[in-house]
Amino acid sequence: MAKGTTVRMWRRTTTILFVLILGGFGIVIASLFRLQIVQGEELEARAVNQQTQDTVLNAQRGTIYDCNMTVLAKSASVWKVIANPNYIKTDEEKEQIAAGLAQILDLDEQEVLEKLQKKTYYVKIAGEVETDAKDEILKFKEENDLSYAITLEEDYKRYYPEGESAAVVLGFTNAEHQGVTGVEGSYNDYLSGTAGKLVTARNARGSDMPFQYEQKVEAQNGCSLVLTIDENIQRILENAVEDAAAACGARNRACGIVMDVNTGAILGMTVSEDFDPNEPYVITNKETAAAIEKLEGEEKSEALREAQEQQWRNKCISDTYNPGSVFKMLTSCMGIEEGVITENTSFTCTGHYQVADRSIGCWRTAGHGTENFQEGLSNSCNPVFMQVAERLGADTFFRYFEGFGMTQKTGIDLIGESTSIYYNAEGLGPTQLATSSFGQSFRVTPIQMITAAAAVANGGYLVQPHVVSQIIDDEGNIVKTIDTNVKRQVVSEDTSQRVSAMLQYTATVGTAKNGYVAGYRVAGKTGTSEKIDEWNAQGRKGEKRYIASYCGYAPADDPEIVMLVFFDEPLSQEGQVFGSAIAGPVFAEVMSQALPYLGVEPQYTEEELSKLDAKTPSVTGDTVKTAKEKIMAQSLSSKVYGDGDTVISQIPAAGDTIPKGGTVMLFTDESSEEELVEVPNLIGLNLSQANTAASNAGLNISISGAALTGTNAVSDTQSIAEGEKVPPGTVVQVNFVELDTVH
Amino acid sequence: MTRLPSQSPPRRPAVRANTGVSRPAAAGGARSGRSSSGRPASVPASGKRSGSPRAAQTVQSAQRAPGKRTSAVRRIRKKLQLFSVRSGMDLPLFFLVLVLLTIGLVMLFSASYAYAYYNQNGDSYWFISRQALFAVLGVVVMVLMSYFDYHHFHKLAIPILLVTYGILVLMLVAKGTALVPNINETYRWFYIGPINFQPSEIAKFTLILIFAHLISLNFNKMQTFRYGILPYVLILGSIAGLVVAEKHISATVIILALGAIMLFVGGVRLRWFGVALGGLGAAVLYLLFCTDVFKYAMNRVYGWLDPFNPPTGVDTWQTRQSLMSIGSGGLLGLGLGQSRQKYLYLPEPQNDFIFAIVCEELGFIGALIIIILFAMLVWRGVTVSMKAKDKFGMLLGVGLSLQIGLQVVLNIAVVTNTIPNTGISLPFFSYGGTSLVILMAEMGIVLSISRNSSIEKS
Repeated sequence: MAKGTTVRMWRRTTTILFVLILGGFGIVIASLFRLQIVQGEELEARAVNQQTQDTVLNAQRGTIYDCNMTVLAKSASVWKVIANPNYIKTDEEKEQIAAGLAQILDLDEQEVLEKLQKKTYYVKIAGEVETDAKDEILKFKEENDLSYAITLEEDYKRYYPEGESAAVVLGFTNAEHQGVTGVEGSYNDYLSGTAGKLVTARNARGSDMPFQYEQKVEAQNGCSLVLTIDENIQRILENAVEDAAAACGARNRACGIVMDVNTGAILGMTVSEDFDPNEPYVITNKETAAAIEKLEGEEKSEALREAQEQQWRNKCISDTYNPGSVFKMLTSCMGIEEGVITENTSFTCTGHYQVADRSIGCWRTAGHGTENFQEGLSNSCNPVFMQVAERLGADTFFRYFEGFGMTQKTGIDLIGESTSIYYNAEGLGPTQLATSSFGQSFRVTPIQMITAAAAVANGGYLVQPHVVSQIIDDEGNIVKTIDTNVKRQVVSEDTSQRVSAMLQYTATVGTAKNGYVAGYRVAGKTGTSEKIDEWNAQGRKGEKRYIASYCGYAPADDPEIVMLVFFDEPLSQEGQVFGSAIAGPVFAEVMSQALPYLGVEPQYTEEELSKLDAKTPSVTGDTVKTAKEKIMAQSLSSKVYGDGDTVISQIPAAGDTIPKGGTVMLFTDESSEEELVEVPNLIGLNLSQANTAASNAGLNISISGAALTGTNAVSDTQSIAEGEKVPPGTVVQVNFVELDTVH
Repeated sequence: MTRLPSQSPPRRPAVRANTGVSRPAAAGGARSGRSSSGRPASVPASGKRSGSPRAAQTVQSAQRAPGKRTSAVRRIRKKLQLFSVRSGMDLPLFFLVLVLLTIGLVMLFSASYAYAYYNQNGDSYWFISRQALFAVLGVVVMVLMSYFDYHHFHKLAIPILLVTYGILVLMLVAKGTALVPNINETYRWFYIGPINFQPSEIAKFTLILIFAHLISLNFNKMQTFRYGILPYVLILGSIAGLVVAEKHISATVIILALGAIMLFVGGVRLRWFGVALGGLGAAVLYLLFCTDVFKYAMNRVYGWLDPFNPPTGVDTWQTRQSLMSIGSGGLLGLGLGQSRQKYLYLPEPQNDFIFAIVCEELGFIGALIIIILFAMLVWRGVTVSMKAKDKFGMLLGVGLSLQIGLQVVLNIAVVTNTIPNTGISLPFFSYGGTSLVILMAEMGIVLSISRNSSIEKS
């Protein structure tokens, strides 16, 4: 036997060597190939995922401006205070941090300490910390060398500087900075911008790695919106609607819209008892809030949620209603356009009209007798319109109904627009057609109604309503301009003008005269719709509920703005729930302020001029004699207080307007200025009675509402309560309503 | 290099002459003589070759005194046959070791510096400075061993076996004390003073040595049970049993595998391997059906099969991190020093999982090159050993070479999750001074065998 390796040893060793190298090394090489080449990308993605930390760089949300570039909504930086309890070693340190943060942020020290005792790397101590407090925390961190324990994350908070103004248009943002309702919701993609991110490499303990790896994607700030809303008109509208809704006790809220008749731009839009976008979750209605407070548990949260949704709901676009007599302006257009009637077509109203097997009544059960069409519109006479609809026929009626946009959403750029409910041409039997002619038996949204009214006013063009006019990017470049979108012409310009003239007549001497504004040629129509569906639902028993509305525009010969206001389920006031009584004055109040603001020149008729207010001349410093002459020249009277020769002050001040025949108080010495007079009762009087009562008390009145046109106008409110002591000559605002025009 | 083989034959007589004739001269003379005769044959390594023996002589205090001292040294040399083997060692093997050691050191530095930075108070050089020191020591030991006539191990085999038994029993006795502390419920490390090492490393060497010793002595009786099976089963069983008691399963597996390889090469009849496999199968079936060991193991198996969705209670963090590291490397790697996973994601990247960092930084290509270098080392070690003049050298060299191959394959298999996670270090790469020195000494023995081998030394 050989001394060295035998053949068998050689063979066996070689076998093992081959097995080890081909088998063993081969298998691990195959494993490496699988891991590095086949699964490499997937495994690397996993590795990168754990090695890097993404920090979101928030994009600043765009600003919302009104049409005059007044800021309605803007975002400002706030800070989230984050603690990293796992990096805090000792209890003393935790106590020190808790004490420091609690003091700066005005928090409970014990609560902060509890958070710091959690075993975590991330606990939020406070959110929405403003820059002042943030700076203090930074100082605190630096002084105590706590950079590892406390971090500040930038965040944004949304501010609405105008408070509740235009809340339903603006909407609000939720905790994730996403718009929920209003333009915040509908233009969320534009407003929110694109968040950036910062990717940094981290070791397994979460601190930065020594190797360079940082990738930054800059945040793209959101675009800003310029609304068509005019904050001034919005204020006027909001105050008027809110006050009137409170006064009439509208149980299902009230809403108002002011729109440019030619462009569809919404100048103002409001819903009563809406919310403050700064605090959208707080219930505005105090009674509701108190009632919810009393509830417990699930019931409470359910009620709260319901109340919140209610106040966020934009009644102007989300609720449907029977437009009632306001709709007659559209039926009038159909009749004139189709030539089935003229202004002078004669009708007879007996108080009701027989349709098929049913007799449908007029609001005036006694009937209007013989009247021409213009008078019929002015009287808001139902039988007249039932006959017009009958002459048109269901097909034609429905064609115009569709034409005026009653069957389609208007496409307003807000979230939550509802679809209308209506009978189509086949469904319009004689009864449905008859009731539809005066705005019952179908339901539309207020925005649909006002858009159709705009078409009546502007020459027959149906425009798309919108609240945003421009979208501007971060650098101020215009990204998008929203132009007027005319959908179609529904009726001719001629028809539009003729119906406008009749509506002006209605608003001047007819049922709509509570909406009259002297000098501004108002065209308008009232509506008092029965909530017939609800009435049927409650078995036609109990209290009948109504919607009191007013829709009109001005000036009638060259319309600029159209306004719709409606009060849902007002409490009846001495039997009055009618549109003219409740909604008319609101319309007048808004129009009388909005039209001058928009620069519409008043054109007074002779009659108006005679009743018109006069401007108080400046007489301070003049002799008593000169002053009296100047005042006489303005058709005003004067009353002198004190014994001096020279007027040292006057009430009302120079430039103030008071009704013609009013009194200017002239004070000639110091003592006379200290006298006070008591405000008398000025309610329930006609214009001359009110004037006299005020004059006797040494006061002046300023009038609004139906006083100038009405034959039976009675004052219903006074701006300074009876019994209050005021300086003589003070102007008390008195509103008048027409009592016998109830439709 | 093509000319070198033709130059080597004249070299051998010269060396032998050196041993016999010029040795009586003073140490200095020996040095110069060696230099003049050795250099032409070994130009690439002249520094090492002439340098290391000098160092060895210093250790042997050969330079200190001429005269009587010199003759004493000579006597010792003669007795131990130290430097009596004058044939050249196998240079490919020698350089493969040095290349792998160098790459290993570079990768250890890269893999360990982040871990060291965070765990050794900012001292990124903590591991590399120690390992480099041991590497230098290891090279010295290797070269010295290469000059040490491996035949002495015939005499040393039994004493070394007894010492190994002594240490392993001491491990059992001192279990849980400061000498053998409990580390993660295992007792693998032995601490004496500043030195700590795993006795299982020694046990592996001892097993190869004693098997080579016994097989070469009883080679003709390997077919018998009494001389061919019984002693080996007893030794293998006892050593494996003692290592199992340390709860060191991976080392036990390697020891059993090495024993099997040695016996296989040694010529044991194949039927005995059939018997052993049958016994193993029976044991597995017993554990499977009669105990609930496997029920516990099953969860680990599930964790192994799908490390990214392990069953609750099974921690596959290290495996996951290893796979992510390897995957991150792709074809070409992130570049030397560019590993991200070493930043505390991969636990202890300087130890058993260093190859994951290698893969991440050097990519598939880099890893492949290193694996091929290892394969070449194993191949060269085995072929050199097979040309040994005697069976003892052959068996010893084959055993030691295959041990490295086995460790490399098992380590990379663990790192790539090809087999379940168990603690096996990567030779020349993993951190550990004592084990590196032992490894280098073993390589020195293989080199010593190569000096006596009839292989063509290029």
